[in-house]
Amino acid sequence: MKALYALYSDPDAAQHAVEELRRQGVSDQLITVITSQPYEEYEFSHRYKQTWIFWIAAAGGVVGLLIGLTLAYMTATLWPIVTGGMPIVAWWPNIIIMFELTMLGAIIATVVSLLVTTELPATRSRVYDPEVSQGKIMVAVEEPSDVDVPRLERTLRATGIQEVKRVV
Amino acid sequence: MTHRWGMTVDLDRCTGCEACVTACRTENNIRIAGPEQAAKGRSIAWIRVERYYEGDFPDVRVKFRPVMCQQCDAAPCEPVCPTYASHHNEEGLNAQVYNRCIGTRYCANACPYNVRFFNFGNPVWERPLELQLNPDVSVREVGVVEKCTFCVQRITAGKDQAKAEKRELKDGEIKPACVQSCPTSALVFGDLNDPESEVSRLSRSSRGTKLLEDLGTQPKVTYLQKQY
Amino acid sequence: MDLRTEQKINADLLRPLRHTSMSFYSLVAILGTIILVGFGSWMYQMWNGLAVAGIRWPIFWAFYITNFVFWIGISHAGTLISAILRLVNATWRRPVTRCAEVITVFALMIGALFPIIHLGRPWLFFYLIPYPSERQIWPNLRSPLAWDFFAISTYLTGSTLFLFLPTIPDFALLRDQMTGWRRRIYGVLALGWQGTTKQWHRLEAAMQIMAIAIVPVAVSVHTIVSFDFSMSPVPMWHSTVFGPYFVAGAIFSGIAALIVAMAILRKVLHLEEYLHPVHFQNLGKLLLLMSLLWGYFTFVERLTTWYGNAPAEMAVFWATQTGSYAPLFWTMVFCNFVIPFPILAIKKLRTITGCVIASSTIIAGMWLERFLIVVPSLATKHLPYTWSHYRPQPVEIMITIATFAAMVLLYTLFSKVVPIISIWELKVGGDAPTHLTSEEEEEKRALWRVRP
Repeated sequence: MKALYALYSDPDAAQHAVEELRRQGVSDQLITVITSQPYEEYEFSHRYKQTWIFWIAAAGGVVGLLIGLTLAYMTATLWPIVTGGMPIVAWWPNIIIMFELTMLGAIIATVVSLLVTTELPATRSRVYDPEVSQGKIMVAVEEPSDVDVPRLERTLRATGIQEVKRVV
Repeated sequence: MTHRWGMTVDLDRCTGCEACVTACRTENNIRIAGPEQAAKGRSIAWIRVERYYEGDFPDVRVKFRPVMCQQCDAAPCEPVCPTYASHHNEEGLNAQVYNRCIGTRYCANACPYNVRFFNFGNPVWERPLELQLNPDVSVREVGVVEKCTFCVQRITAGKDQAKAEKRELKDGEIKPACVQSCPTSALVFGDLNDPESEVSRLSRSSRGTKLLEDLGTQPKVTYLQKQY
Repeated sequence: MDLRTEQKINADLLRPLRHTSMSFYSLVAILGTIILVGFGSWMYQMWNGLAVAGIRWPIFWAFYITNFVFWIGISHAGTLISAILRLVNATWRRPVTRCAEVITVFALMIGALFPIIHLGRPWLFFYLIPYPSERQIWPNLRSPLAWDFFAISTYLTGSTLFLFLPTIPDFALLRDQMTGWRRRIYGVLALGWQGTTKQWHRLEAAMQIMAIAIVPVAVSVHTIVSFDFSMSPVPMWHSTVFGPYFVAGAIFSGIAALIVAMAILRKVLHLEEYLHPVHFQNLGKLLLLMSLLWGYFTFVERLTTWYGNAPAEMAVFWATQTGSYAPLFWTMVFCNFVIPFPILAIKKLRTITGCVIASSTIIAGMWLERFLIVVPSLATKHLPYTWSHYRPQPVEIMITIATFAAMVLLYTLFSKVVPIISIWELKVGGDAPTHLTSEEEEEKRALWRVRP
C-alpha cells in the first residue's frame, strides 16, 4: 500500500497524531504532513529545515560571474575595435555585465535547486487529498507494511478521526 | 607609416558660400528631404555652415563656422553604439558602418557637435536626379545614422592610386569634396602624422583652436580664428 | 485560523476567477481596441519610417524613451514591496505582494518593448543579443544599451520567477477547486505541488534568496537605465546623481502605481475585507518618504547646476525653469511634491481616496519628469545653432496611450486567471478578514453585481 492518512481540522490535533505515530514506532522519514500553508510554529514542521540552497545559490552566482567575465573578455578580444579611446577590454563597463550575470546565475541556481529538491514537476503520482486546500491537515504514513496497517489505523482513529483513508 | 587624417578650417577665409555643403551632398549621395520634412528638422547636411550674428545694424558682424564631423580621438559617439557601427579606424577616422546600425540614435545624441544625422525615411531622388549618384558611396536606407566620413572613398581611392603607381601619397593629393570645392581654400585636408603637410603646419598655428575642446573629445579639426 | 475562515478566504479570493461580469468583457473589448489601434500605429511607423514621429535633428529621443524609462520605473513597485518587506518581516505586506509583483512583470514587458519601437531598423533588434552570430561580431559591451539588455533580461527573469514561485501553492489550490480543462491547466502550473513540510521549507528558502537577489538587481536596472543618459556629454545629462535619482524616482512611481492598482482592485473585486485602510496608509507613508527623497534629489541636482553656472548647462536649466519647458516643469513639481506632500503627511487626509489622488498626480508627474529629462537637454545642446523644439505626433501619442491600456488589460486578465491576493501567504499571516463597518457593508451590497 502506498499510504495511509487522516485529515485533521487544526494543527494541534495534527501534532498530537504525529506524536502518537512516533510512539507506535513509525520513523519520522515515513510520516508525511501535508498542509495548505506552512505551520512554522509547530514541531511537525521542523523537519527538513536544513538546506544547502543558500550555498547552491552562491555557487550559481560564482558561475554567473565567471560566465560574465569570459563573455566580456572574449567578445572584446575576438574582434578588437577601438571605441572612444577606451581600452579594448574596458573593466568599468565589464563590472556591470559581470554583476548582472552573477545575479542571474544565483537566481537560476536557486530556482533549479528548488525544483530538484522538491521533486517538482511531479513525475509520479504522490499522496494528496484535495481537502487539504480546504484547510485540512493531512498526516500520512507512507509505504506502511501490510502487517502494521491495522495497528496504525487504530492509532489514527484513537486521535478522534472517524475515517482513515488508504491509498493503494 | 599610418596616416592620421585631419582638417583645418580658416575662419578668416570662410565666406559662408556653402559650396562645401553642396559638394558634400552631391559626392556622398545625401538624400533630399524636401521642404516639409526640412521644416520638421529632417534634412541632412554632413557639413553645415553655422551662421552667428553679432551686434545690431549697421555694426553687424557675421561669423561663419563650417562644422563637420570632427573625427574625435576620444569620440563620445563611439562607445555608446551597441552594435559597433560607430568605431575608430586605424587612420584615426570615426567610421560609421551602415550595415551594423540599427538606428538607436544614441551616437547622435552623444555627439556634442550634432554632426550625426538620422535617415527618417528611405531616400527618394526624382528623375533624373538618380543619375548623378556617386557609385563609390553607398546609399543609406531608412533607419540608419550617417555623418561626414572625410570622404573616405576618396581617401581609399587616393591610397590605391599611390600604391598602384608605387609611390608615396603627396600632400594635398587627397581632397574631400568640401575641401576641393572651397573657393577661398579655407578648408585644408591632410595627414597629421606628416609634420611637413600643410594641415599639420596650420594646426600648429597660433590662431588654432578646437571646437568644444574642454569636453575632452580631442577633435582633429582645427579652426583658425578669425582676425579682426 | 479555523476551517470556516479558511474556506471563506478561498471562496472570496477565488470569486473573481469563477464569476465574470459583463463589465469585464466590455473593459477587455475597449482596451483591446485601443491596443490594436496602438499596434496599428506602430506598424504604420515601421512602414513609413520614423518620419511620422515627432523626433528630429537634434532631438533624437523623445516620447518612446520617456515611456521606456517610465515603465521600467513603474516596475520597481514589486521589488520594493515584496522583497524588502519580506526581508524585514513586515507582515502587512502579505495581501499586497502579488499585486505588486504583477505590476513589475507587466511593466517590465511593456518597458522592454520601447527600445524596439524606437529603433530606426527595429527588425534588426536582435543585433543587441550576445550570441555567436554568422556576422562574427558581438554587441559592444561598453555601450549602456548593451548593459540595458543584460539588466532588463536579468530583472525580467528574476521577477517572473519571483512572481511564479509563490503562486505554485495557489495553483495547487486552484487545481483542487476548479473542474474540467481549467483543472488540467492549473494542474500543470502547480507542478504537482502537495504542500509537504519539505516543499514548504524549500519554497520559503528559495523566496528568501530571491528576495535578497532581486533587490540589488532592481537597483542596478534603473541605475543602468540612467546610464543611458549620464554616459553622454549632453548638458544636464552628464550628472553623477542620475543613478540614485532614477532609482528613487522609480520606486516613487512604482509605489504610486501600486496604490492605484490596489484601490481599483479593492473596489472592483470587492476585496474590502482583505485590503484594509492600514495597507494604504503604510504605503502612503512610504510614498511620502519617496516624495521627500525625490524632492531632495531634484533640489540637489538643480542647485549644483545653478551654482556651477556652466553655460551649456545653464541653457538647459533656464529652458526648464523659465523657458518653453517651464509650464511642464512646474506642473511636475506640483504633481510630485506640492499636492502629494500634504495629503500623505496629514494623517486625516491619508485615506484610501487621498492616497489614490496623490498617487495619480504622482504618476502623471513622474511621466513628465522623464520627459523633462530627455527632451530639453537634447533640444538645447552645446552649439546654439542646433537648438530646436519638439512636437509629439499622433503616432507617438497613440502608442503611449496603447501601452497604458496594455498594462490595464494584462492586469485585468491576470486577476481573472490567478488570485490577485496570495492566498497561502494571507493564511500564514493569520490575517482573518476583518468585519466591515456598516457603511462598508452597505457600499459592498450596493455594488454587488455578481450572482453567486
